Amino acid sequence: MRTPLILIILLAAIGVFPIFFPSPYLIHIGTLIFIWSFITTAWSYMGRFGLVSLGHGAFLGLGAYTSGLLFNFYGLSPWIGMLLGGVVAVLFAMLIGYACFRFGVIGDYFALVTLALGEVVALTIIAFRDITGGSLGFTLKSKGTSLLYFQAEEKIHFYYISVAFLIIALLVWKWIDRSKMQKALRAIGEDEIAASTLGVGIIRYKMIITSISAFMTAIGAVLYAQYITYLNPHTLSGVPPSLEIAFKAILGGMFSLWGPAVGTALIVSLEEYFRVAYGSTFVGFSQIIYGLALVLLIIFLPKGIYGTLQELFKKKRA
Amino acid sequence: MLDLYLNAVINGILLGGVLALLAFGMNLIFGVVKIIHMAYGQCVMLGLYFIYTLVTHLGFPILLACIATLPLMGVVGFGLQVLVINPLLRAKANPLTQLLALAGLTIVLENLAQVIWGADLRGINVQLPIISIGNVFLRTSNLIAFFGALLTLWGLYLFLNRTYMGLAIRSIAQDLDSARLMGINPQAIYYLTMAAGGLLTALIAGFFSPIYAVHPHFGGSFTMMAFIIVVLGGMGNLLGGFIGAFIIGIVTSVSAAMTSTEIADIVALVIFIAVILVRPQGLLGIRVAK
Repeated sequence: MRTPLILIILLAAIGVFPIFFPSPYLIHIGTLIFIWSFITTAWSYMGRFGLVSLGHGAFLGLGAYTSGLLFNFYGLSPWIGMLLGGVVAVLFAMLIGYACFRFGVIGDYFALVTLALGEVVALTIIAFRDITGGSLGFTLKSKGTSLLYFQAEEKIHFYYISVAFLIIALLVWKWIDRSKMQKALRAIGEDEIAASTLGVGIIRYKMIITSISAFMTAIGAVLYAQYITYLNPHTLSGVPPSLEIAFKAILGGMFSLWGPAVGTALIVSLEEYFRVAYGSTFVGFSQIIYGLALVLLIIFLPKGIYGTLQELFKKKRA
Repeated sequence: MLDLYLNAVINGILLGGVLALLAFGMNLIFGVVKIIHMAYGQCVMLGLYFIYTLVTHLGFPILLACIATLPLMGVVGFGLQVLVINPLLRAKANPLTQLLALAGLTIVLENLAQVIWGADLRGINVQLPIISIGNVFLRTSNLIAFFGALLTLWGLYLFLNRTYMGLAIRSIAQDLDSARLMGINPQAIYYLTMAAGGLLTALIAGFFSPIYAVHPHFGGSFTMMAFIIVVLGGMGNLLGGFIGAFIIGIVTSVSAAMTSTEIADIVALVIFIAVILVRPQGLLGIRVAK
């Protein structure tokens, strides 16, 4: 009974927040938190089962660039582009996923293969600079406020849209949690050989979860691109964004429903705070603190902030 | 056209020499401490900044600055062992956690460099002559780096094979428990290896200093390159790393000459992925049963 009450209060608070604080800056930060929470939650679909990908930037890039280029060159609505981008990401994920899972690449090796893939996509985007604009990126053509073209001049529209997307991502998590797939994947994550001797289809389940994660990540990337209306290979693919997605989720706790969102909210607001407080004097200072906190947390709190708190409360209640 | 490829191959070989040194350091650390040092290229970056500061701000002669950087980077390597790797080993972290922690470390180092030295390119200005033999053009700085790297590798080979300390390092890499039974203190060897790894980054930085100007994100691509080579040769396999370095050096140099540097990097990454998938033990590695 208590959990739904907290949820309703939280949702109401998010809903009325822009009415009480109509500052575009705060709404912008909120929107960023929701969009990246959506993406980190999608990342954790895989991460929580031991499939730690350090290359989700590949899916960001594929999704955002598929949709963005189709829109700019052919005027295709980003709603369709979003789905197509998701499909492209899924195809890529299946190709790579099959190769990795077929050859039994797991753990740190899987992380490294995906890290390389994220970089391959970034380099490909940069190499085809005639179409993609290379390192300089490109701007989406402006259509004013248009539902068909998924553009809005007011930040507030995207604020609510991204909340809706985040809710969908959390519901998908819940759906995965209740499915048979969850049990199979947990068994695989704990001991692959034992699971396979019990007849669990390792490759099949890993492929499904990877595809779901890739699809959602690509959609998140289109959402981000439509909000910012600017695409750049260094923010939407390659090593740094890929690592950031993983770090946000791990910091919050990739094993719990709210973990990735908590981690994202924490990091995005911390980054903003440091940027505003020390921005002009120490560029990069916030990132040092962030990196140090990350290293410490990875070593001492492998379950993440939210995950550790959750465990503490459980112990207290028991 | 033929000249272009000839130039590319020769420059690839020269690049391979320095890459071999880079891969050697990462390989040694992986073999002994059993950690993938994701911040290795970033350590080279720090070394380059140290040399830059010593030369431009403190007025050191370049050679002296390079020598002074050696102990500094040795201390950095030692410090990493104390501050990052020891806690990881004590927490019995799995390889994935170690990888993530060191990846987190790259963020710290890169931004530290940005706060201290800023985001601009920093380089010591030395103009070394270009030698031309027929239609082949060679930069003296690349030649120095190549022969310096080979000389260092030869010295390291002798150290590992002819000294008691080298024997201890190799035995730790081969079998930790037996080595311990033979009275070798692994902790001491870890410190030594990390300090030596740091020293190597300083040496590489010294060879790089007349070639490249450094910026805070300088290290990432070299970490990646070193790692590609280490995997290609077989993780922990020093000879494999040596051969792998020349393969990668020539392949990237030739494909860059044929297409563009981005495509060359993609080729290297694709080789890396293919090796992990199809031959995870590397070119010379022996598959170890789990």
